[in-house]
Amino acid sequence: MGDSQYSFSLTTFSPSGKLVQIEYALMAVGSGQTSLGIKAANGVVIATEKKLPSILVDETSVQKIQSLTSNIGVVYSGMGPDSRVLVRKSRKQAQQYYRLYKEAIPVTQLVRETAAVMQEFTQSGGVRPFGVSLLVAGFDDNGPQLYQVDPSGSYFSWKASAMGKNVSNAKTFLEKRYTEDMELDDAVHTAILTLKEGFEGQISGKNIEIGIIGNDRTFKVLTPAEIEDFLAEVE
Amino acid sequence: MSFRIFEYNGSAIVAMVGKNCFAIASDRRLGVQLQTIGTDFQKIFKIHDKLYVGLAGLATDAQTLHQRLVFRHKLYQLREERDMKPETFASLVSAILYEKRFGPYFTQPVIAGLGEDDQPFICTMDSIGAKELAKDFVVAGTASESLYGACESMYKPDMEPEELFETISQALQASVDRDCLSGWGGHVLLVTPTEVRESTLKGRMD
Amino acid sequence: MKLDSGLENSSSIFLGGCSGLEADFSAPPSFDLPITNDFDGWQKKSVQMVKPARGTTTLAFIFKEGVIVAADSRASMGGYISSQSVKKIIEINPYMLGTMAGGAADCQFWHRNLGVKCRLHELANKRRISVTGASKLLANILYSYRGMGLSVGTMIAGWDEKGPGLYYVDSEGGRLKGTRFSVGSGSPYAYGVLDNGYKFDMSIPEAAELGRRAIYHATFRDAASGGVASVYYVGPDGWKKMSGDDVGDLHYSYYPVVPSVVEQEMTEVPVA
Repeated sequence: MGDSQYSFSLTTFSPSGKLVQIEYALMAVGSGQTSLGIKAANGVVIATEKKLPSILVDETSVQKIQSLTSNIGVVYSGMGPDSRVLVRKSRKQAQQYYRLYKEAIPVTQLVRETAAVMQEFTQSGGVRPFGVSLLVAGFDDNGPQLYQVDPSGSYFSWKASAMGKNVSNAKTFLEKRYTEDMELDDAVHTAILTLKEGFEGQISGKNIEIGIIGNDRTFKVLTPAEIEDFLAEVE
Repeated sequence: MSFRIFEYNGSAIVAMVGKNCFAIASDRRLGVQLQTIGTDFQKIFKIHDKLYVGLAGLATDAQTLHQRLVFRHKLYQLREERDMKPETFASLVSAILYEKRFGPYFTQPVIAGLGEDDQPFICTMDSIGAKELAKDFVVAGTASESLYGACESMYKPDMEPEELFETISQALQASVDRDCLSGWGGHVLLVTPTEVRESTLKGRMD
Repeated sequence: MKLDSGLENSSSIFLGGCSGLEADFSAPPSFDLPITNDFDGWQKKSVQMVKPARGTTTLAFIFKEGVIVAADSRASMGGYISSQSVKKIIEINPYMLGTMAGGAADCQFWHRNLGVKCRLHELANKRRISVTGASKLLANILYSYRGMGLSVGTMIAGWDEKGPGLYYVDSEGGRLKGTRFSVGSGSPYAYGVLDNGYKFDMSIPEAAELGRRAIYHATFRDAASGGVASVYYVGPDGWKKMSGDDVGDLHYSYYPVVPSVVEQEMTEVPVA
């Protein structure tokens, strides 16, 4: 960053050895809307609540799940504006990889690059950590994959994971429902049921978002109508 | 007459595709214009067990480029925990060459490897990275014209390894015998899914 | 426009009215000059045109028994080898040889021309021309065309009434008498072998081998020399071809490939 008098790192160790800025960032994630992801045998699903501050907001203008490449998608919990910075950087990284090798970036590589950006923002001068955690869903030569990346820059591969306001309930629910041989459709059902747990109000195609990627290796954000179909199946 | 930098050291490189295999061959001369300095010069380099690159042109640039390619491939191996596919490597070489668009490495690479399912892949490019893929054979170096002629007449599709070795060797020898700046022996690598056969050819030493 | 060396203008007087059928053999040939405003530029281009056979190795030396003349047989155009079987040693007459380096056409033409002149000298004077005389005939002609793009680097070697003779003549007008010469792009390498192995008191086979070896080494190092190493000997009874070896074979007879001996085998480290 620049060399102004504020170019020192804001993320500094506390005497007890903690980086409180990162803990604050995690708190921002923890108070954010619930997101979750499930890796199925033949694909991955990611889902999130989409609660809007007022019924006057046009819900079609809000997109919380986005694709990074044709075969990788991402959802966040925490601060929306921060996530868009990461999405922009990740998309650029993916394109640079493709430009260099004429080959789609593997999920692990993109996750690592994204995590590296998040780490850099915990150690650079004049910046603060990102107030988001990401769930990255992808399908490449190594099969379906689900990663969670945290503000510290640490990342793990998950069979199923959740984050945000309802994290502990959601995780407990997933632990109970998860099976290794789950098909993608089952995973979508489980995802909906997990969101339903502790959802304030009536769940609908308009107040949740779902992204799936299957054997066709094409990440797709479901339309409200498609979500409604799944909701009907769950009933 | 202008200084011909691509012909400063002299070279002949050829790669051919056979049935589930490929061969890559080069001459062994290192010269300074007409003066022969060495007759055991290496122009084909290993990237990994099933991927080789031959570098024709200015020897100093070829060696430097080779070192950069090995560096980049090792980095890729560490990062992605896998070997590069030949197609991927070719794109990398192309990108590295175009980086120096206005001060190029004076070298013409020939890339040959076995890709996924051991499918043979060969390609060449110019000194600033314009890729040229081929299904049969590719050539480079000061003997490239003669090599085209020899390969054009001697190549057959789907050769078994033994015949491929014989063909590429004959094509190389015949070609360098019409080129002042290359020859002085040959080097042939025959790569099949299970083994790599490396041979040194005796040639006319003039 | 005609150009004439003006050296032997008088000879045509004796032959009388040339009808064209009886061409004037004793006079140096004259040539049409190009119709151009840029003579220098034209000349530069024409020199490029006759470039073939630039790279060459030829050598000749005098020793106790006579003269050895040797050469390679490669003709090249730039990097391309246009022939591996060029006769670079030209037989002017049974007692005299010329070597060829530089433009092939220039060398061939002017050596043939020299042969004619030497034969005419023989007929006119009832004895063979001396090497000194022959080389001077050539040198004078080449001098008359100096600066016009001829490319000739030659050695005239032979046996005359005074014994062995050897001259170096070139298209720049130079003419040197000597006992050891090498001409062409491979000459530095040939000189290296020649100077190192030369003794005046050599037998004919020894001398022939020295010539052959010098040519071989030049073909090895010089990319523009190669093909066949031809060796001629000129003695009191005229010239004789001693050998003509493909240097491709010669290399492996001089330096046979010995299967490399493994100095030390790697052995398994015994497990403790």
